[in-house]
Amino acid sequence: MAYRKAAFRKPGQAGWLYSLVTGVIALIYFFPVLWMILTAFKTRSDALAIPPKLFFTPTLDNFKSVFFRDTQAGDAVATGFVQYFVNSAFIGGSSVILALIIGTLAAYAFSRYPLKGNDTYMFIILTTRMLPPIVVIIPIFLMFRVTGLSGSYIGIILLYTAFNLPFSIWMMKSFFDDLNPEIEDSARLDGSNDWKVFFRICLPQVLAGLAATAVFALILTWNEFLFALLLTGSDTRTVPVAMANTIGGEIGVDWGLLSAIVSLFLIPVFIVTFVLQKQLLRGVTFGTIRK
Amino acid sequence: MEHKPMTLKRTLSVLALTAAPFLVAESAWAKDITIRMAAPDWGPTRFMQEHANATYKAPSGNNVQLEIDFIPWPNFFDRVNASLNSGEQKYQMIVSDSQWLGTFIESGHFLKLNDLIAADAELQAIMNNLHPALVSGYSTYPNVSAADIEKTGYPHPDANYYGFPQFPDTYVTYYRTDLFCDEGENATFKAAYGSDLPCNPDDWESITWDDWENFGKHFARKSGEKLGSGTADGDFYGIAYQAAKPLDFSTMQINAFFWQFGGGIWDETTQPNSPALGVVNSAENVEGFQRFLDLLEYAPPIAKTGQMGIFEIQDLFMQGKIAAIVDWVALGAPVIDPATSKVHDRAAFAVPPGNMRDGKIDRTGNLGGQPFVLTTWNDDEVIKEALDVVKWWLSEETQIAAVKAGGQSGLVSVLNNPDYESWAPWNAQHKAMLEWQKDLWHVPEFFELLTQQQEEFDKAITGQISAQEALDNVAAFQDELLRDAGRIED
Amino acid sequence: MADLNTSGAGAVSGAGSVAKSGGLLAWLNAPERRGPLLVAPALITLFVMNIFPLLWSFGLSFFNYRANRLTVPSFKGLDNYEKVLTDPVVWERFQTTGIIVGASVTLQLIFGFLLALLFAKTFPLRRILLMLVLAPMMLSFVSVAIFFKLFYDPTLGLLSWAIGLFTGEPFILLATPAGSIAAIVIADAWMWSPFVMLLVLAGLVSVPTYLYEAAEIDRASPWRRFRTITFPYIKSLLLLALLFRTIETFKLFDLSFLITGGGPGASTETVAIYAYRLGFQFFRTSQASALAYLILFVVIVLTSIYLYIVNRRNEEG
Repeated sequence: MAYRKAAFRKPGQAGWLYSLVTGVIALIYFFPVLWMILTAFKTRSDALAIPPKLFFTPTLDNFKSVFFRDTQAGDAVATGFVQYFVNSAFIGGSSVILALIIGTLAAYAFSRYPLKGNDTYMFIILTTRMLPPIVVIIPIFLMFRVTGLSGSYIGIILLYTAFNLPFSIWMMKSFFDDLNPEIEDSARLDGSNDWKVFFRICLPQVLAGLAATAVFALILTWNEFLFALLLTGSDTRTVPVAMANTIGGEIGVDWGLLSAIVSLFLIPVFIVTFVLQKQLLRGVTFGTIRK
Repeated sequence: MEHKPMTLKRTLSVLALTAAPFLVAESAWAKDITIRMAAPDWGPTRFMQEHANATYKAPSGNNVQLEIDFIPWPNFFDRVNASLNSGEQKYQMIVSDSQWLGTFIESGHFLKLNDLIAADAELQAIMNNLHPALVSGYSTYPNVSAADIEKTGYPHPDANYYGFPQFPDTYVTYYRTDLFCDEGENATFKAAYGSDLPCNPDDWESITWDDWENFGKHFARKSGEKLGSGTADGDFYGIAYQAAKPLDFSTMQINAFFWQFGGGIWDETTQPNSPALGVVNSAENVEGFQRFLDLLEYAPPIAKTGQMGIFEIQDLFMQGKIAAIVDWVALGAPVIDPATSKVHDRAAFAVPPGNMRDGKIDRTGNLGGQPFVLTTWNDDEVIKEALDVVKWWLSEETQIAAVKAGGQSGLVSVLNNPDYESWAPWNAQHKAMLEWQKDLWHVPEFFELLTQQQEEFDKAITGQISAQEALDNVAAFQDELLRDAGRIED
Repeated sequence: MADLNTSGAGAVSGAGSVAKSGGLLAWLNAPERRGPLLVAPALITLFVMNIFPLLWSFGLSFFNYRANRLTVPSFKGLDNYEKVLTDPVVWERFQTTGIIVGASVTLQLIFGFLLALLFAKTFPLRRILLMLVLAPMMLSFVSVAIFFKLFYDPTLGLLSWAIGLFTGEPFILLATPAGSIAAIVIADAWMWSPFVMLLVLAGLVSVPTYLYEAAEIDRASPWRRFRTITFPYIKSLLLLALLFRTIETFKLFDLSFLITGGGPGASTETVAIYAYRLGFQFFRTSQASALAYLILFVVIVLTSIYLYIVNRRNEEG
């Protein structure tokens, strides 16, 4: 493991003073998010109070309203948030994994087995990200209706997979391109077949890229709103749609409820990113084998 | 008809269970029919779902369920629009903004109800019981004016009927009793302006925009200055009304100024003979619009950004930053709710100010709220069941329950109920204001008209152009667009 | 999986067993088909989900279809393109979008880069602090827009309050076109600088240590060290960041729509908002499709220029 430590130490190891300075900068940067999280524990009056309240009596009412709401008759009924949350996790998770698998294979092929007009393919793939989603929504809506995909899990998962493919492919290709082909060649000479080379030699070297791609893809999918609004049914609806429900109606923005949903909804992405962070930070582990 | 498992029932299962015995008893011969309705997700529609689950039993004996697809308010139009344009045919009923009527009627999505109403005495009774302003704004296309509807009653010979009120809305004044009824405040106000501050809702019946301006001047306070019986804990402002670019958040108030000053908007009821040029930028309109702009001076500084919408002023009022605002009745409930409002125990409601013209106060306002309509792709049996749901919703019993739960009713008999005014603190004013309602256009071009006008109004609100310039631009644009559409001809 | 390889002609001779029975598999697994085979799932998914709708609206752009009319659409050739190209509003919207994209992406690159440098060292609490900086991009556009609008509110906003402490006046950022554009750029750049940071960081941490050690022996200046050692490692990732952030920011919709509503006037209306209005509100469905293709064309030209410059640089290098 010694080499890995060495790779970490590149421009240098810094101490607590550095942590302090970075910490202050990070906190300033994080402040708006912190404010949203604090707002989740505030009453409406506290949330909008000026001068702003950094210290206040916290309330859990907002979190309660995430899960339950009162009917006119005064009964508390479930809001369906749990279902939305599970939907988000399932749809997000599936489409990210799909995009990673399909995208990485394609990226490897684009890098190692260039097709005729390789760059053109790559560019066409990129163009699919260029249009504002609103202008293709009607044809997609139409297609979903005709194929019966509207309101189904599979439809929205495939759609999100397609969203994530361009970035996955471009990102992973750039990582594969940067690998030293000599390592692969020598592995082949040692008798490894192509699959082995891919799985045992190449893939471990691009874990950082995979981690970064996964994080980005997850973030994109997790927060997607427009297609979720239009293409999910009441039982496949995701959290961003529920979030939009906290805006407008009898009251402008339900600040506390919105913040509570935002805070809860941050947790899974936060955890996934934290877990993958090790990969993100180690870069290409065998530092010496890059070109 | 789709017969999908009902997911909404899951969330509302408690109420749905109460209907279960009927299902068992009648399932041997009753048909399962789901009436799915697209609706914005808020109190008035949630009430409709909950109340239907609890009380609705189809008179036909069929097993009919009202299943509302709740859609977030900010994106309600997008969802409905995408569904209709793609031919999804998912909904049997739709809550529609009154302005969308032309758009979706001319594209063949909303069902004309004339023959159906003509064949049904119960529906005719309902039509006769509905307030004429609501029949005009919510039901007729091409639009027939409220005055005409009132004259002929049902049936009007030229009217095509489409919708029914789901939630009729008007705007009223919200004001702070602790300030307007404060003796000290009243004394200084009277010394400066020669009249009393209106303390009781009745006192507001003589209030004009000139008085409103005085309230604005009088109640403007800097942080730390005396306010009522205490001190202002931040800058405090006298008055505000909507003046924002999104949606129709300035048009709704500016139209009121046009009408009250004797001007008006392009009149769709007399197309193609009604011009836009000279009407939209008439001297009366310019004067009214200028008045609207002048009064923004006394509003909170957000007025200068063109972002002072109906929710922004509601929040500022609830946070105790403004003495009086003009806003929708629909937004009143949170203001008197201790959980959301700092001034919940000090808020009262009154009719909005008007303009003194020819010795009378004109309070004409722009109708808010939403009708609901039937769609065109259903078979006769479903249409019949949907109309039974309409009758259930517009029955006096349901409507009274709706008003008591914080909703509003369009039925004159409910408005005239002796207890009606006691069911909500703004009901008396809402009822009074219904007499003053006009609506903006219902033609399919309405969104284009609205967007351009909101943009020009916004430029004037943020001080980039004058009232005259803005209205000239609006008139020129409307003239060209409506000529292209064949709605203005010489 | 590792044993699926065949000993077919031209194949890298593997140690794995020969799968004679799988005729189709063997055929598929032939090396000359490897590229197409691996690429196929991605291309098929993209075609079905993205390219089909694109072609559909491309077709639409040659008709005079309006989604709220019952009249049968007729073929109009390039009419819609002519309308869109001669519409002064379109060019205003492109300008606005260009300004926002230029300002926001530049800020993202600068802040992303600086943050990446900050986190390229190892130090105590690094992983935790990094999470704090990454958090903004994990939020949804809606929540960022709604909260920044509140921060900017002259009476109830945090930012206005903080600035008011120094000036004593309410701070009204959204009152002017320039201020409104700044407000949107700040929100967007804040949200997406972490994206750039993460990509740059991935490049920074993969620079082999020995190169720095060699540079130290050579006593290379920090700038030279950066240019000759660090930069080559982050160049391709930086380009990727630039490419994707430009493409994504060009589609900017929610932030502007929710923070300023496109105002004051139309000073913050982006092309994406205009396309939405044309298609969804004005029901000029075909015209909106034509505008979509104009947007696509502009972005393609822009990205091609990026790629061209980089490729030329590469060849020079």
